[in-house]
Amino acid sequence: MTFALQTWLFFRRKLLEALRQPVWIFTGLSTPLLYLALFEPLLKSLAGGAGFPHGTVLDVFVPGILTLMAFGAGMGAGWVVIWEIDSGVTERLRVTPASRLALLLGTVLRDIVMFAVPALVVVLVAIPFGFDAHWGGLVLLLALLAMLTASASATSSALGIGLRQIGSLAAVVTGTQLPLTLLAGILLPLSVGPVWLRVLGHVNPMYYAVQAARDLAAGQVVTATVGAGFAVMAALAALALWWGTRSYRRAMS
Amino acid sequence: MTSTDTPAEAVRTVGLRKAFRARGGTVDAVRGIDLTVAAGQVFGFLGPNGAGKTTTLRILTTLLDADGGEAFVAGASVRTQSAEVRRRIGYVGQLGGADLSATGRENLLLQGRLYAMSAARVREHAEELISVLDLGGFADRIARSYSGGQRRRLEVALGIMNQPRVLFLDEPTTGLDPQNRANLWDQLRGLRDAGTTVFLTTHYLEEADLLSDRLAIIDHGAIIAEGTPAELKRRYSADVLTLTPRLPDPDLPALARRLAGQPFVTAASADGTDVRLAVADATGAMAAVFAALQADGVEVIAASLAQPSLDDVFLRETGRSLRDTDAGSARDQPEPPAATDARAAALP
Repeated sequence: MTFALQTWLFFRRKLLEALRQPVWIFTGLSTPLLYLALFEPLLKSLAGGAGFPHGTVLDVFVPGILTLMAFGAGMGAGWVVIWEIDSGVTERLRVTPASRLALLLGTVLRDIVMFAVPALVVVLVAIPFGFDAHWGGLVLLLALLAMLTASASATSSALGIGLRQIGSLAAVVTGTQLPLTLLAGILLPLSVGPVWLRVLGHVNPMYYAVQAARDLAAGQVVTATVGAGFAVMAALAALALWWGTRSYRRAMS
Repeated sequence: MTSTDTPAEAVRTVGLRKAFRARGGTVDAVRGIDLTVAAGQVFGFLGPNGAGKTTTLRILTTLLDADGGEAFVAGASVRTQSAEVRRRIGYVGQLGGADLSATGRENLLLQGRLYAMSAARVREHAEELISVLDLGGFADRIARSYSGGQRRRLEVALGIMNQPRVLFLDEPTTGLDPQNRANLWDQLRGLRDAGTTVFLTTHYLEEADLLSDRLAIIDHGAIIAEGTPAELKRRYSADVLTLTPRLPDPDLPALARRLAGQPFVTAASADGTDVRLAVADATGAMAAVFAALQADGVEVIAASLAQPSLDDVFLRETGRSLRDTDAGSARDQPEPPAATDARAAALP
């Protein structure tokens, strides 16, 4: 009960912080819409070819964009963590009896909202352009990708606490972002690539999320791919939350 | 909570130790501190930067685990009952800790609810603190827009939102102008009068002297003197005679050594352009000292007699002036090179 209340209080604080900076909301929304507007036309000529089994190009591309948004919504958490350590906010909260997991979850849940709301907008915008929405699958897809946002957010927070320097955090996050997204087949399916690339993709947890997201977007809910996606994402989220909580619990002298 | 939970001691430590790994080895930040702070007083923890004040405070507030020794705060063990300690204390850190992207009132409401107070009780108490600490004019503005003094008042309000038995403050007046500093002192005295134990670190001599009911002086991780400010100064000497000699090439340390041998002079040291003498009997000492100066042909351009300061106490215990050691980083973190140099210089 206390834990739920504390989580809610921290979530509300973080949400308010985001709403007071409309520029975040604007960029969170404009980037995926730009992808849709500027990248989708390039893919059109590939429709029907290898790697695009489901109907239109958007049916393959939208799940990828949503995965990118899910990752992006979480990966910035560490910046604010460093800022809060430097301004003493984290230290003050650590002297209260508040749960460290609740403290972490406040940011994680806010990031999930900051992913889910623009995600819905992107889906709605894509429908008139030929995206075939399967609502049952989409709900599960958002749940799956929320776990990716949670993983990215908690990992970024843990990294922020561990590194303590904005520059180091930026180097680590941007350095891992590109290989992670390329090896997940987000923009183009990995199935169009050579064998070694596909093998490499299988060690990337995000790959399973993207594969499952494509099945779910196509309305194929009960598949082995979806099962694997949920299993990998749940395990990743649990690990990241454990790491983030442990980081908050440990002394930051 | 039963009445046995309210001990007469707000803080008790036994053999508290903490070392940090640093480049080229470990730094002993806290080296066996034994401290007892009675409830209901303002306790000052005075020392230069890097002395171990903040490290000790961070152990007492559960932010840092000690390597050895025991600490009890408000009747609970910091090591085994940290959750209980957190419920009973308030903390105002050196960095502040107000959430600058929220309003002052939002800060207070969140802080109160983290201590499981009801929403109605929290609103009521926040209102009280806004009035007592005079936050009314800006409580509903985003804290980023506050002046330094306003922010500090909010941070103190955050520290006492849970009505703590012990309030810890780390260098609370650093960066405040004299008026805001005086206001904060009044507020801390008010808290003490209302029954809260106030434990603060400071490197300001004046603050330790005027605000503390009792104080401990810490240097290189160990306590070197403890008592009321008056006791400590009295223990040092009755009076301090300060002389400013006019010398073509002033060798003040040599002059200090020579004057230390005069009757009624208990200690002597060079301090800037002055020689400071601790004297047991002012009249007797002055006669002897001026006779000796005249015999040596040393002309004195200024002389004054005053009560000893806490700096005299520090100087006697460490061989250094606290004023000289003030220069350094604002944060009381282990500073291996500076600390080692200073220690080497202080050794005979």
